Amino acid sequence: MPEVNVPQPTFMEKVKRFFMVDLLRGLGLTLKYNVGALTDKNSVSGKGIYTEQYPKVRPDVAPRFHGAPRLNMDPETHDTLCIACNLCALACPEDCIDVIAMDIEITVAGKQRRKKVLDEFIFDTSRCMFCALCQEACPTACLELTQEFELATYSRAGFVWNREMLEQGRETVKYEQ
Amino acid sequence: MTHLLAYLAPPNFIDNLLLKFFSPETVNYVVWPFIQIGAVVTAIAVYALYATYAERKISAFMQARLGPMRVGKWGLLQPLADAIKLLTKEDLAPDKADLYTFKFAPFISVAAAFIVFAVIPFAPDWGVITDINIGLLFVLSISSVGVLALILAGWSSNSKYALMGALRSSAQMISYEVSMGLAIIGALMFSRTLSLSGIVSGQQTDGIWFLLYQPLGFLTFLISGIAENNRAPFDLPEAESELVAGFHTEYSGMRWSLFFMAEYAAMVVVSAIATTLYLGGWYFPFVFRLTEANGYHTLYVIISLLVFLAKVTFLLYLYFWLRWTLPRFRYDQLMDIGWKWLIPTALVNIVLTAIAIFTVQAVDGWNGWKTIDSLSPSLNLTGTGKGIMIAFGILGIFITAGILSTINWRSRDFNLKKQRRNIRLINLPKGKPAVAAPPAAEKV
Repeated sequence: MPEVNVPQPTFMEKVKRFFMVDLLRGLGLTLKYNVGALTDKNSVSGKGIYTEQYPKVRPDVAPRFHGAPRLNMDPETHDTLCIACNLCALACPEDCIDVIAMDIEITVAGKQRRKKVLDEFIFDTSRCMFCALCQEACPTACLELTQEFELATYSRAGFVWNREMLEQGRETVKYEQ
Repeated sequence: MTHLLAYLAPPNFIDNLLLKFFSPETVNYVVWPFIQIGAVVTAIAVYALYATYAERKISAFMQARLGPMRVGKWGLLQPLADAIKLLTKEDLAPDKADLYTFKFAPFISVAAAFIVFAVIPFAPDWGVITDINIGLLFVLSISSVGVLALILAGWSSNSKYALMGALRSSAQMISYEVSMGLAIIGALMFSRTLSLSGIVSGQQTDGIWFLLYQPLGFLTFLISGIAENNRAPFDLPEAESELVAGFHTEYSGMRWSLFFMAEYAAMVVVSAIATTLYLGGWYFPFVFRLTEANGYHTLYVIISLLVFLAKVTFLLYLYFWLRWTLPRFRYDQLMDIGWKWLIPTALVNIVLTAIAIFTVQAVDGWNGWKTIDSLSPSLNLTGTGKGIMIAFGILGIFITAGILSTINWRSRDFNLKKQRRNIRLINLPKGKPAVAAPPAAEKV
């Protein structure tokens, strides 16, 4: 019969085992967490509570997280920053962006000119993989992937965002603290 | 100040009102007991309800969670919401169940748990419903009726999980009742009465908690009590991973919650008995001297009540603490602990206590030592006697450790390491360590 090498317990180990020292140590650990939950605010390195009260308290997402798209506007004039250059649509590996431009007549220095401006912007979030290549491509820092993550809708069509949704953001239920 | 407290005293005020309608005998022996019973049942029900909340909160804190937070401030109304939910749920009974037994079993369970509170002294004077001279015997006998409910529930459910759970729980409760009953005897040797109020007043006149005389008895009682309540780590009858929910697998709605209520009430019962026997019940040092001796009788009773509740709450916390720390025992380990460890411990404790009391009596009067104050109604010791008794209590732990390891040195669980050393490895030549099989040669 082969023998597995297990060392013979010493007298102190036997005494420890009889008085259940390891059991008491386990009880001490749970007690420490119980006291920590009531006193310690630090949940990462301390013994505090880890739970986030999600709908009431917004969780902190990682700084590199890419979420819902947004079309930024000029903070002073509230005109769109988009110049309808179509670079984002070209950069998109999923082909989920449609930039629809239109020509308008403007007068520059007394002369009639035609200018290409943004008419409609279609962004299909159901196909988007949030790689943010469009954000990289945008020359005017207009298209941006924000930290918002509540993208669920009741229908497939709801995933397709138009210009208004991209500029104003989607309406979500806000919970009170 | 004294007048103010006299006005605040509710019993006298209600007494005067009642005496206008009933004779003094009716008031004393019928009306007052009913008021006390109503108060105790309501208080215990609310206490059990909030014990579930406390358990959820404490378990959450121990796991760095928050627990119930949405119903009311910090989820404080969660037990009420649960009660409403359970009351309005459908009362299901399985097909081919023994319907009458099935529907009746929860009531036995909850009644057995609640009747016991009739004899528990919550406080002196009006804080006790009835003080019968066989109080402890009454408690033990009634609480073992609770097993019947589990067996009936498991049998009538017509479900294998429920039946297995009931079998396990009956085996467990019967074997742990023995050690529970034997553990009590040590404390009874000091109190010399089975009346629970008598036990408390014995500790009060002695000015000591029996925990100091009987550390071993307290431990044995507590462990058997936890096992008797089918609580973790002895929750074999309700082992989720094996038996779904044990004997109450098939129950739903209010009948299920009656079992739940009975479980928590039984926990409160064991905590209350442990408090009464070993932690001095409602007795706390200096309370008598500061209140009753100065004439504040009502204040004395109320403070005693709070002291009692605080001790019970501490023991309940111990229940939760153990539950969320220790994993469940295997079934054979459970039986081992009951029969091979706890019952011998309780027996050794009886013998040691008897020897200790004999020693104290023998030493009394020797060389002018005085150890015993009085023998009646309870054993009251002087300072020297207390010292001897406490020394015997602590020494008893080590003596018991030696005796138990002598008894159990051949026991299987005691020698797990030796067994591991002798593991038989199949198809292996002698003397060679086990290695992984060499990889098969690649075919050309």
